Amino acid sequence: MTHIINIQQLAVKLQQKIILSDVCLSLESGDILGLVGPSGCGKTTLLNTIAGFIEQSSGEIVIDNNEAITTTTPVPPELRNVGMIFQDYALFPHLTVSENIGFGLSKLSKQNKATRVAELLALLKLTEFEDRYPHQLSGGQQQRVAIARALAPQPKILLLDEPFSNIDARLRNELMIEIRQLLKSLNMSAIFVTHNKDEVFTFADKIAVMTDGKILQFGSPVNVSQKPNSWQVADFLQLGSWLPIQCNAHAGETALGSLGDFCQELSASEAINKTIDLLIKPQYLNYNASGIENVEVNHVGITEQGYHYLVNSIERNDKLSFERVSFYSNHIFHLGQRLSLSIQQHDYLLFDPNLAK
Amino acid sequence: MITGNRSKIWRVVSWIIASSVVLPILVMLVSGLTATTELFSHLWETVLPTYLYNTIAIAVIVCSLSAIFGVISAAIITQTNIYGKTILRWFLMLPLAMPAYLVAYLYTDLFDYAGPVQRFLRSFFGWQSPNDYWFFDIRTVLGAGVIISLVLFPYVYMLARAAFEQQDQNLFRASRLLGLSAPKSFLKIGLPLARPAIAIALSLVLMETLADFATVQYFAVNTLTTAIYDTWLGYGDLPAANALASILLFMVFVVVLFEQKARAKQRHQSNRPKRSEQVIELSISQQIIACAFCWLLVAFGFLLPLGLLISMSVEYADMDQFIGLLEPGLNSVELAFYAASLSTLFALIVVLYKRLHHDRTKGLPVNISGFGYAIPGTVLAMAMLATFGPLDTWLNELAVIMNMEEPGLILSGTIFAIVFAFIVRFSAIANGTITSGVEQIPRSLDIAPPSLGMGMIKGMFKVHLPLLKSSIFIAWLLVFVEAMKELPAVLVLRPFNYDTLSTQIYQLISDEQLEQGALGAILIVIFGLLPIIWLNKHEDNT
Repeated sequence: MTHIINIQQLAVKLQQKIILSDVCLSLESGDILGLVGPSGCGKTTLLNTIAGFIEQSSGEIVIDNNEAITTTTPVPPELRNVGMIFQDYALFPHLTVSENIGFGLSKLSKQNKATRVAELLALLKLTEFEDRYPHQLSGGQQQRVAIARALAPQPKILLLDEPFSNIDARLRNELMIEIRQLLKSLNMSAIFVTHNKDEVFTFADKIAVMTDGKILQFGSPVNVSQKPNSWQVADFLQLGSWLPIQCNAHAGETALGSLGDFCQELSASEAINKTIDLLIKPQYLNYNASGIENVEVNHVGITEQGYHYLVNSIERNDKLSFERVSFYSNHIFHLGQRLSLSIQQHDYLLFDPNLAK
Repeated sequence: MITGNRSKIWRVVSWIIASSVVLPILVMLVSGLTATTELFSHLWETVLPTYLYNTIAIAVIVCSLSAIFGVISAAIITQTNIYGKTILRWFLMLPLAMPAYLVAYLYTDLFDYAGPVQRFLRSFFGWQSPNDYWFFDIRTVLGAGVIISLVLFPYVYMLARAAFEQQDQNLFRASRLLGLSAPKSFLKIGLPLARPAIAIALSLVLMETLADFATVQYFAVNTLTTAIYDTWLGYGDLPAANALASILLFMVFVVVLFEQKARAKQRHQSNRPKRSEQVIELSISQQIIACAFCWLLVAFGFLLPLGLLISMSVEYADMDQFIGLLEPGLNSVELAFYAASLSTLFALIVVLYKRLHHDRTKGLPVNISGFGYAIPGTVLAMAMLATFGPLDTWLNELAVIMNMEEPGLILSGTIFAIVFAFIVRFSAIANGTITSGVEQIPRSLDIAPPSLGMGMIKGMFKVHLPLLKSSIFIAWLLVFVEAMKELPAVLVLRPFNYDTLSTQIYQLISDEQLEQGALGAILIVIFGLLPIIWLNKHEDNT
């Protein structure tokens, strides 16, 4: 299998501080990878290391089966054949749209350069703006110029730093789909950084969740959202609420009742007789009109999917008590109302929040 | 907002300050432009073409050299890994503290036929007479240009350096990823983007060059400034001097327009300054050349002249010289104190007027009172004479009519005229400093006192003035220092037998006796260092 980029055991230290450690990634040609994680987790550092703006302290980066980039064989950014779209676009303010797009084409003849620029202007629907300066364009147009400029020298891979953070929320989704289709039509591989999980699920083929300079999980969005491999991944992607659960040999006790027959998946030493967390997605919570009241509504919101409620356990001082669990319902409840909720049988996801740290 | 009678008084005071600052200039212009055409054609047929030629030639030389010195040193400091960067970074600003006329005198001493350099060369090579070898003559238009550039290039250096450092690092990253190396990226992105800043710096350099009097006077290179001085003090021809001053003012005005245009183009600054990752690694030979370039500028612009001054004072300084300094020193301090205090007070009045009032023309007094910053001291002096001379005559006539004793030249013949000229010239500095201080105060603090039941004016004393304390001090200090250094205006306007530090040193230079005033010269350099040290500290804080 040919990888467009292959990163092995990459580590970065800045001023004695470890920013990235043991990062391994590989991407197939044409794939779009979304790097997500809380701010300060190292995702932008990873992008800048791939681009060559930050020196790695160990490990290797191979781009398009070229010679590996290591600490002993460094390659300057201008020779890496990597394109980048910056959060603020970084358009050259003293050059026109055409000159910006043609900036990286100095090796082409005048004629070929003009042809290529015209091609890109057409592809990104910028032809009528070719003689304008960046400050005369709207935010969306500026972004299209940035994309055209990065694509012009035909890079092997495109890096995008928070590409949609400056875009109006209403246009964002539309634009993401448009750019995704463009990249797919060109079979362009891309890595983009975001702290917005919704962007990843719309835009990416692969997702890597990062915390503290490490990649916690790497895989397809479906895979990661259905089978998060750690408490941190599930928590960052907000895949559901956390419900404390105490496991014994064959059953689990929660504030919403006991669950049977699931603990065999956990090795005895790990979970038995400990209080850990059950990841509970809203769709697995059922409202019972007549059961024993076990929760109290503490927030009511309205969404397109019906009413959104946050509830806390009625029992407050127990190790199984919880502050906020989220669920949706078409029933109308009021603040402070006590209800009965139960957990539907499903593939339970249990995590020890202290384990990964 | 401030309303009622107090507001009206404030407005009237602001406008009086603003108009009294420009009125003398207008009077001079009118008298200069209405000078007889006969006089003008006489000037044109005799000396004016040479004066103009010399003025323009020096301006061109100074601009070119300052641009070369300033831009290259700024590029080396910001773009490369040059050794000793932290020291050089601010050492390159030091020449600004060195008055050009001091350097001119010291280097003439050093490099002319009888000076140590040529004496050494003659004894080393066994040359007998000037015919045996070639050596550059420093007392020429080119020599004056080089010396003025050596002390003015830091303007270009500072503004270009700030421009390079404030450029968005992502622009350079984008350029690198599009295939350009770091040096090429600098040439294609960094340099073009810094053009407006460089243009602004060059126009400041030009203004200072056009204002220079003592250097060219010492080198006997006749320019418009020396011509104004000679025409008035030599021939007592006030209309002709006014006419020449008007021509010079017109040239300055063109430069100011150019500067304003450049300022308007300055945009795109980033809060994400460039980091060390973009640094261009120099090879050893490049390192040596870059270091030599920067250190030579520092050496010739500051260290060497300072060293010469120090060795002079070690050799010649004694108690008599020190006592001789006292009176002119106190005069300087007195003048500078009045100028600084009044300029700062006026700046507070006009700047806060703009901030706290709502009429449509509230910004005009600030802008008008800052108008004098570009005007050469010699021209200002002519403006004072053109305005206060007739006023004094009128006052004396009035006194005679009223049977009182004639007061003499109480306006044009006392330090009043000098302080007035200082205020016109340095108001812009005070206005600028106070304005930037005022801009840091959130608008909500203007209306907070009234919302708590306190009147606007009382609120201003309780809120704005305490917050402006450091700006007020800095404005005062900057004007004080500039006033200590100012020479040409004082030379023309000073009362008989009245000397300041700078006029005394100028006098000693003219008499080729600087040794007698070396201590005073060092003092002037030290005063010049104060704002540079402040600038450097200010920069570290931001």
